[in-house]
Amino acid sequence: MRARLLILVAVCVVVVVSGAVPAAAQDNVMVWGDSLPSNLDPHDPYDVPSALIQLNVYDNLYRYQGNPPQLQPWLAESHTASRDGRTWEFKLRKGVKFHDGSELTAEDVVWSIQRILGLGKAAAGPLKAAKIENVSAVDKHTVRFVLEKPYAPFLSIIPVATIANRRVVEPHVKGNDWGNAWLASNGAGSGAYILDPASYIPTKALDLKRHAGHFMGWSHNAKPIDLIRVRPVAETTTRVLALMKGEIDAGDSYLPTDQVERLSKVKDVVIHRNESMRIFIIRMNNTRPPFDNVDFRRCMSHAFNYDAFIGVILKNFAERNPAPIPKNLWGYPEGIKGYEFNLAKARAECDKAKAKGAPVDREIQLHIQTGLDQTMQAAQLFQSDVKKIGLNMKVVPNTWPNLTASTAKPDTTPDMWIHWVSAYFIDPENWIGTMYDSGLHGTWKASSWYKNPNVDELLRSARTNPNREERAKLYQQAARLVVDDAADIWVYNTVELRGMRARVMGFKFSPVGSGSELRHMFLAN
Amino acid sequence: MLRFFLRRVLLVLPVLFGLLVLTFVLVRIVPNDPSAALAGQNATPEQIVEIRAKYGFDQPLIVQFGIYLRQVVQADLGTSIQSGRPVARDILQRLPATLELTFFALLLGAGLGVPLGVLAAVRHNTWLDHGLRFFTVGGVAIASFWFAIMLQLFFSMQLDLLPLRGRLGTAMTPPAQLTGLFVLDSLLTGRFDAFRDALRHLALPAVTLSLGAMATITRFTRSGVLETMQKEYVLYEIAAGYPRGLLIAVYVLRNSLVATITQIGLLFGALLAGAVVVESIYDWPGIGSYAVTAIFTSDYKAILAVTLLLGVVYSIVNILVDLIHGLIDPRVATEL
Repeated sequence: MRARLLILVAVCVVVVVSGAVPAAAQDNVMVWGDSLPSNLDPHDPYDVPSALIQLNVYDNLYRYQGNPPQLQPWLAESHTASRDGRTWEFKLRKGVKFHDGSELTAEDVVWSIQRILGLGKAAAGPLKAAKIENVSAVDKHTVRFVLEKPYAPFLSIIPVATIANRRVVEPHVKGNDWGNAWLASNGAGSGAYILDPASYIPTKALDLKRHAGHFMGWSHNAKPIDLIRVRPVAETTTRVLALMKGEIDAGDSYLPTDQVERLSKVKDVVIHRNESMRIFIIRMNNTRPPFDNVDFRRCMSHAFNYDAFIGVILKNFAERNPAPIPKNLWGYPEGIKGYEFNLAKARAECDKAKAKGAPVDREIQLHIQTGLDQTMQAAQLFQSDVKKIGLNMKVVPNTWPNLTASTAKPDTTPDMWIHWVSAYFIDPENWIGTMYDSGLHGTWKASSWYKNPNVDELLRSARTNPNREERAKLYQQAARLVVDDAADIWVYNTVELRGMRARVMGFKFSPVGSGSELRHMFLAN
Repeated sequence: MLRFFLRRVLLVLPVLFGLLVLTFVLVRIVPNDPSAALAGQNATPEQIVEIRAKYGFDQPLIVQFGIYLRQVVQADLGTSIQSGRPVARDILQRLPATLELTFFALLLGAGLGVPLGVLAAVRHNTWLDHGLRFFTVGGVAIASFWFAIMLQLFFSMQLDLLPLRGRLGTAMTPPAQLTGLFVLDSLLTGRFDAFRDALRHLALPAVTLSLGAMATITRFTRSGVLETMQKEYVLYEIAAGYPRGLLIAVYVLRNSLVATITQIGLLFGALLAGAVVVESIYDWPGIGSYAVTAIFTSDYKAILAVTLLLGVVYSIVNILVDLIHGLIDPRVATEL
């Protein structure tokens, strides 16, 4: 009896440990380990993970390509704008087919824009800011937008709008949901890859199959990948190990710098390093004492050890940026110095603030994002330095939804919190324009509750001025004022780090989407 | 016995109601606005206000709870803010993965815990007993995330024996769904390749999850067996020269396992809840990782549903344990 039991156990062990082929080593199948968006509706979530669906399953009128990103005609062949900047017309390519074989026409574009606005989810934000008075199909291949007033970044935000197949979605509309419940786990696009709804487990698994009939064709890629299995690995350690072992072909674009050295030693792994337009900021609630005192904000700006954070913690995989505009974008105030780490200066500024009655001795709360190690590392470094000048800082772990929700009102916004601003569209409006215009208070981007009428005027002028050179000057002036007021602590421009198996070739990075456009990629033999 | 059963079921209802109230209040009193989460990143303040009104988040909390309670009674757990799908659908898709992991962890925990407990009792106060005590204390004390990473590093990275993560290799087509438990479904459909792959993927998460349970079962079994061995009838049988193995297997063990069986029942619920950490590390697509995502994204309908599900499972297991007690000892049924 005992012997039989032992044999059974031995058989089980042999079955379990006997070898298997690593998953990622299949022919022309890539396992993509980066995040999936919260759902698959291209008009619902609007964040870094949602770019995977928007760039691969759907198409847009214009698309950002390359680094620095260039706006290129995509579904549209060309566009014209009226002299007053209110009327925009887009000429569509002819013969573009959706995945179901039906033709993509101007009616689909109009319906998609109406759907984005009607659904009112995050993707609607930039379009609503443009205040579209009317969108219509002039003919089968011409779409016309009429704006209430000129909006200079309009062309820059056009890639936000992805085009969905009206005929596929409409039968699934329930009430006023615009088919959101259905499209959240299905596809209706024309993009280079077709999603397989049967494979979908929200945030866990999705298969993408190549769309051979994509309108851009595949001549740019001799051996495109036929099947992409998106299998996000949530835990950083597991993700790195999975990449080393070959269970996934690509990780995410937030590879922690302390893992770079480890991965660099793995023969079959390469690390793609690309300067991005994602900026790292420590926000200050400018309405809450002592942060309502500019001297105290300058004190805090001098108390953060930028060089140690970038050099030691991030191992120089970031570039110091002291302003609220990416360094590699037009409108950046060249030569701006910002604040340097200097505890003597910080102490002097704090003393000035204290003399004016600012309650500098109270406990300051700095909220970080749980799971994002860099925010914790920055906070701990900051905490240890401000202690040297007699300030009491408490680090509070929090989650992204809680933090963004709390920024709806000044009294619920934390004293300080840390986040990045990614490249959603390429225009200073995406950064300084939406971060420091007091008219946008109540959004997470404007969560420092900064208010300066001069800055408001400059930003609003820049928003309506069609001349890019003049706009650049306006943003530069605004940036200098905001930096002088030490509204926040601007730390760096991100160098995005993504680990990939060496067999994955053709990776092309663009700050919009962080290189998740898969049509360029192929697998080496 | 029927009255006993009905009484136990009725007692569960206020417990579940209390659980719902508590979770609802906890989820909603934190400085958190589900309408902002629903609107998503880059939403304007106007969009958030529109969504707040559209979904009734501007109503008093008690009204919102009343609406939610009515939905739950009608078996509608609502729609996930994140996935945009009915929460019940999300949970049903992921529940088999968690059940499979929990069953195997319990099987491993009980399958090894009971013999080890007997061994510790029979050889009590020897080096073996001390060694097992060290193991059981460690088993309860060791953080599962640390243990999981150690297992991954050793068995997957160092020895390259077992997969690191997931439920099946990405090259493997899942077996036709009958129960949703891959091991069982692959056997039932004759998919032995999938059976082997599912077992291989199950090994490390199940061992990680089972460690605490195994330690607890070992301790309970040890003390149960030790206590029984002090009984007069056992002493008599020893004196009468009964074969030791037969005595332990037939008389001692059978009379010592009541507390252990109760513990195993309760551990099932605890393992379901404990799967949260293990599933996250092993990337196991079950309820645990669903709960983690729900918490990080403030998906409050999903949080409530998972809590309710765990509450229901705990309650059912409690009822079953009480029933078993009632069957074994009718005095329990009369007292309650």
